[in-house]
Amino acid sequence: MAGAVTSIKDIDSSSPIVTARNVTKIYKRGSEPGLIGRILGRSEPPTVHAVDSVSLEISSGEIVGLAGSSGSGKSTLLHLLSGLEQPTAGTVSFQGTDLTTLSARERTRHRLENIGIVFQRFHLLDSLSARANVALPLVELGVPKSERRKRATELLERIGLEDRITHRPGELSGGEQQRVAIARALITDPALVIADEPTGELDTETGRTILEEFKQVAENRTIVLASHDQETLEICDRVIQLRDGAIANRRTQEIRP
Amino acid sequence: MVTGLGVGLATSTTVYDDDVDYWIVPETDSPESPLIATDNIQFSSVHETNDRIHGYDGVDATTPVLAQVLRIESSDTAEYILVVGVINTPELDRVVGVDSDLLTPQDPYYANGEYNGEWTGEVVLSDGAADILATSPGESVAVAGNNTFTVAAIDNQSSSTGDIPTALVQLSELQQITGAAEYDQADQFVVSTNSPSVQNKLEGVYPQSSVQTRGEMTANQVAESDLSLALALTALVVSLSIGTLFVVTTSGLEIVADQQQLAVLSAMGLSIKSQLQLVGTQTVVLTGLGGLIGTIGGLAGIRLINTIAIRTITTEPIATSHPVFIVYGIGVALVVGLLSLPVLLLTARRVSGGVP
Repeated sequence: MAGAVTSIKDIDSSSPIVTARNVTKIYKRGSEPGLIGRILGRSEPPTVHAVDSVSLEISSGEIVGLAGSSGSGKSTLLHLLSGLEQPTAGTVSFQGTDLTTLSARERTRHRLENIGIVFQRFHLLDSLSARANVALPLVELGVPKSERRKRATELLERIGLEDRITHRPGELSGGEQQRVAIARALITDPALVIADEPTGELDTETGRTILEEFKQVAENRTIVLASHDQETLEICDRVIQLRDGAIANRRTQEIRP
Repeated sequence: MVTGLGVGLATSTTVYDDDVDYWIVPETDSPESPLIATDNIQFSSVHETNDRIHGYDGVDATTPVLAQVLRIESSDTAEYILVVGVINTPELDRVVGVDSDLLTPQDPYYANGEYNGEWTGEVVLSDGAADILATSPGESVAVAGNNTFTVAAIDNQSSSTGDIPTALVQLSELQQITGAAEYDQADQFVVSTNSPSVQNKLEGVYPQSSVQTRGEMTANQVAESDLSLALALTALVVSLSIGTLFVVTTSGLEIVADQQQLAVLSAMGLSIKSQLQLVGTQTVVLTGLGGLIGTIGGLAGIRLINTIAIRTITTEPIATSHPVFIVYGIGVALVVGLLSLPVLLLTARRVSGGVP
């Protein structure tokens, strides 16, 4: 199954890797009224447009930032682009495949093979070592144990954690845990890396270092990262500003060498 | 621990396992076992009656039985022992699990209706009694005061009284030292025969007596074993029920608490099937480990119960422990894990797939 993973080398850089067309995500606040609630005249719960008619294209190799204040829809848009959630309206395509037509199981497989996710709060499994955490997605892909260990060790060495390989998350600093999370996101060689506030739990200096390492180890992968921190967004080729779930403006930054 | 008690109870009271076919016992409402029911209504003129029963057609062997719990002192220690007085006759073989052939035949101290025959002063000890008294053949022991007896033999094959330490003596000599010689008393008769027609005659030997067959004895014993078996089965059912509810509740709460972790696994691309395998494996391994720890704790509890029991109410352990209990405990725990699995997998299925 490892062979099914789309390598960035296979992607045509001229075509968009992710395309969103009029994507809308509406959440309901509270539960639907039941039969008795309807009889008693209870009204439908109010709705929130977390993402409102967003259209965008992300090309291969791009680093795109999603900016905006808290509640602006950054995280929800990341979830929609990665297939973690389904839009209420509109379509999200990944390399031409409409994710909205896939079943939950197919979308899970799609994430395993094509998407790497870095969370704000690391979300490492406490009972596993750094190497086992990094290698976890390879278990699902059926990669042999020796190969898993080899690839996870190499990646951890590249990210400067060669002396932390057997440590558990509780024995690592916040910066080290986020490095492990980045390595876990990259272990399957994904075409797209999603990062939601990757430096949100780190101090400024550590965050800056982690970002540089992230960009370096991700090589020329497509990265979409959400942050409200301007310094974090400086690594992006392009920043999309969100306000109340809609795109407020696009600004393109100078691409750094 | 409860299983150990049940097995202990089921295996210890086996005092009926003698090679006899009938027991004549006084009619009584007491639930006590005929053999260890000391200080109950007794039969009188038992030597004469025994001769009469022996004369019945089909009777191979017969003896009155007088049972008393008496203090026996050896050179090293003193202990209360079940002392049983019998008349050794050919083909009697064993009484209360001790070989009666090791006594001088025909109770020589009782001669011609008088207690003035040859005093043998011999006692045959069961293995357990010999261990407790720390004595060996040829040594003297004092029974119920200053009555000196000599250990004629130790029956290493003794087993039918379970773990009850037993001493076999001549009937008349036991009567003499316990005051039962006045009316030539005994508690019961054991009659060895293969002839069912003897039963009617035996029932007429004493008024207000009852004759119990081996089958009835066995039924009695089985009833007691059933009680113990029921105790062990109840322990099994209770442990399965309580264990399953406990594991379902605690693991269920754990799964709900781990909802975030399951969501992360889902976001990383781990299928629901893999997540359920993870939950299932975790549940079975944890319950297995719990079973191992619980069983070790149970064995420690059995040891504690036996220690307390021996120091307070008994002379022998009341609960049994065996290495196979560890396997049994782990097995029960694994069954608990398997019984809990469906609910836990449904819970995991319901909470998985969210967004971290």
